Amino acid sequence: MMDKLKLGVFELTDCGGCALNILFLYEKLFDLLEFYEITEFHMATSLSEGNHYDVALVTGTVSTQRDLNLLKEARNHSEYLIALGTCATHGSVQGSVELPIREKLKAVYGDGGDPMRALDSKPVVEYVAVDFALPGCPYDKEEVYQVLMDIAKGIEPVRKDYPVCLECKLNEYECVLVKRGLPCLGPITYGGCKAVCVRSGLGCIGCRGPLPGEVNPASEYEILKSLGYDDEYIIRKFKTFAGWEP
Amino acid sequence: MIIEMREFTRVEGNGKAEIVIEDGEVKDVRLQIIEGPRFFELLTLGRHYYDVPDLEARICAICYLSHSVASVIGIERAFGVEVPEEITLLRELGLIGEFLESHSLHLYLLVAPDVFGYPDAIRMATKHGELVKEGLALKAFGNRLRVVVGGREIHGINVKPGGFGRYPTVEELEEIERESEALLRLARRAVRLFAQLDPYGAKAKHFVATDGYLWGEKLISDEPGEFHYTERIEERSLVYSFAKQSRYKGEAFFVGALPRLLLKSEMLTPTARRLFEEHREKLETGYVSYNNLAQAIELVYSLERANEIAKTLLDRGIEGENVPVEPREGEGIGYVEAPRGLLIHHYRIDNSGNIAYSNIITPTALNHAMIEASLLKEARELYGEVDEGRMIGRLEETVRAFDPCISCSVHLVKL
Repeated sequence: MMDKLKLGVFELTDCGGCALNILFLYEKLFDLLEFYEITEFHMATSLSEGNHYDVALVTGTVSTQRDLNLLKEARNHSEYLIALGTCATHGSVQGSVELPIREKLKAVYGDGGDPMRALDSKPVVEYVAVDFALPGCPYDKEEVYQVLMDIAKGIEPVRKDYPVCLECKLNEYECVLVKRGLPCLGPITYGGCKAVCVRSGLGCIGCRGPLPGEVNPASEYEILKSLGYDDEYIIRKFKTFAGWEP
Repeated sequence: MIIEMREFTRVEGNGKAEIVIEDGEVKDVRLQIIEGPRFFELLTLGRHYYDVPDLEARICAICYLSHSVASVIGIERAFGVEVPEEITLLRELGLIGEFLESHSLHLYLLVAPDVFGYPDAIRMATKHGELVKEGLALKAFGNRLRVVVGGREIHGINVKPGGFGRYPTVEELEEIERESEALLRLARRAVRLFAQLDPYGAKAKHFVATDGYLWGEKLISDEPGEFHYTERIEERSLVYSFAKQSRYKGEAFFVGALPRLLLKSEMLTPTARRLFEEHREKLETGYVSYNNLAQAIELVYSLERANEIAKTLLDRGIEGENVPVEPREGEGIGYVEAPRGLLIHHYRIDNSGNIAYSNIITPTALNHAMIEASLLKEARELYGEVDEGRMIGRLEETVRAFDPCISCSVHLVKL
């Protein structure tokens, strides 16, 4: 049997969900372990034996010097690096707090300076080249399974190219934007979550970031304005997960 | 001399510790939370209340529902909104799902490898596959409850001020009733397993919890009287940690499963209560390591209570109606028992419904001083007695007993 691929999971600053979601694969995790050996994953194992990774999954934002060092370490020692989750791909919620780092630290910790070397939270993709970016807060776990299986079989994983709206239509969910006037970012948000929020009868909050290519954020903006939402509210909603300017 | 522990493994988030040695003796221990700060209170400031629980959920993946529910309760109290029993029962069901998901993750995947001498549950599975599978079955059921109530396994947005986006169906409740009964056997086995663990870490002197089992209007402790957190709990910044440290009347204290059992055993379900009585003597010593056993007993409690709630809701039927929420100027505190212990969300809201002040204190921040005290006690006992590797191994286990959630702990602000 061929050698297993070495897999490293590296957590920068985040809520832990993107690493946790890998454990939520349950039996499928054991399927993956037919092809992969986990050599770094500090939430799950006390072993740390890697200095080379065939695939590195990096979650979280770069928010400290420690995060930046770890990211560079992961990049320098991996063949294929995946930015996993919206923190890593777009900065997510902590990346949307806009004050300069000094002011943020002062508001939270007082005048103690910056002994722990905090940085403004930025996505992984702003610091290193990544081979694949899989957003979602959290990402859909079936997706990461598919991507890792594709790589194990030598296939380049495919990026989806449709918005959340399409998944609503496929699941025959009622359109909460048109029918109920709820603020829903589904028309401009990168699909792949199976429209899970609309399943609950609530609007998409845009946690997977904008769909690249032919979407029309200006028209989404106009729709929300016509529904009576004010500028500041809409702009904040756009910016929250992906720092997206309407 | 300083012995630096490497970053903790099998815990959530990034942290480590330094052991300060002077004249051949352990002088001090510093728990360093090196996870970057995330500034959640700044993030929610000025935001419309309706969107806030979804943002707060992002504080933590393991206990996102505790954050959503604490946030929703804080907001409802600020507006003077009262919700009917159906909604409180469903919130309770969601929190129970979180207890099951979080405790089984902790006990089976993070702690059990220590018990059996493996670096992780995956490698442990070669010899103890059944046990790992049992843990995963409990965890999956916990997540199922989180999907039904919260909308998805991680960061669902279904829990809203005044109610829910979507209410569960009869079929879902029937499934919960069935499954919770079937899994009870596994949880009882977990209690037997974790009752065998040795005591380690410090003995806690003070315990704090909410006045109801899963949430409350006020806090209780080992001393008489109910209180608000501002009356007895103080926070301060540290130069070596992104998490602040809290003290109860100036002293280290403990929040979590063990404090809940010790302060609220009369609220337990029948089997859980019987198991508590069986192990009471041990638990009452207050060793922090018995938090693991307490969590196992809470697995039993959670399954029994989920079964009761599902039955009640099936008997009376689900109406699925939200309570209208009218924003007005106000202040409210949501106290919830997250799996790891007390969680506080405190808001002031202006008359257009935007957040004007927000303070969040998480269990790991509340336990910060207690973790340090436990590391210090353990390091003093072991330094010079066993080799450094073994000492550090035991210190890691001591940290793990708290089930620390480091991501949660790093964004505390008073404005």
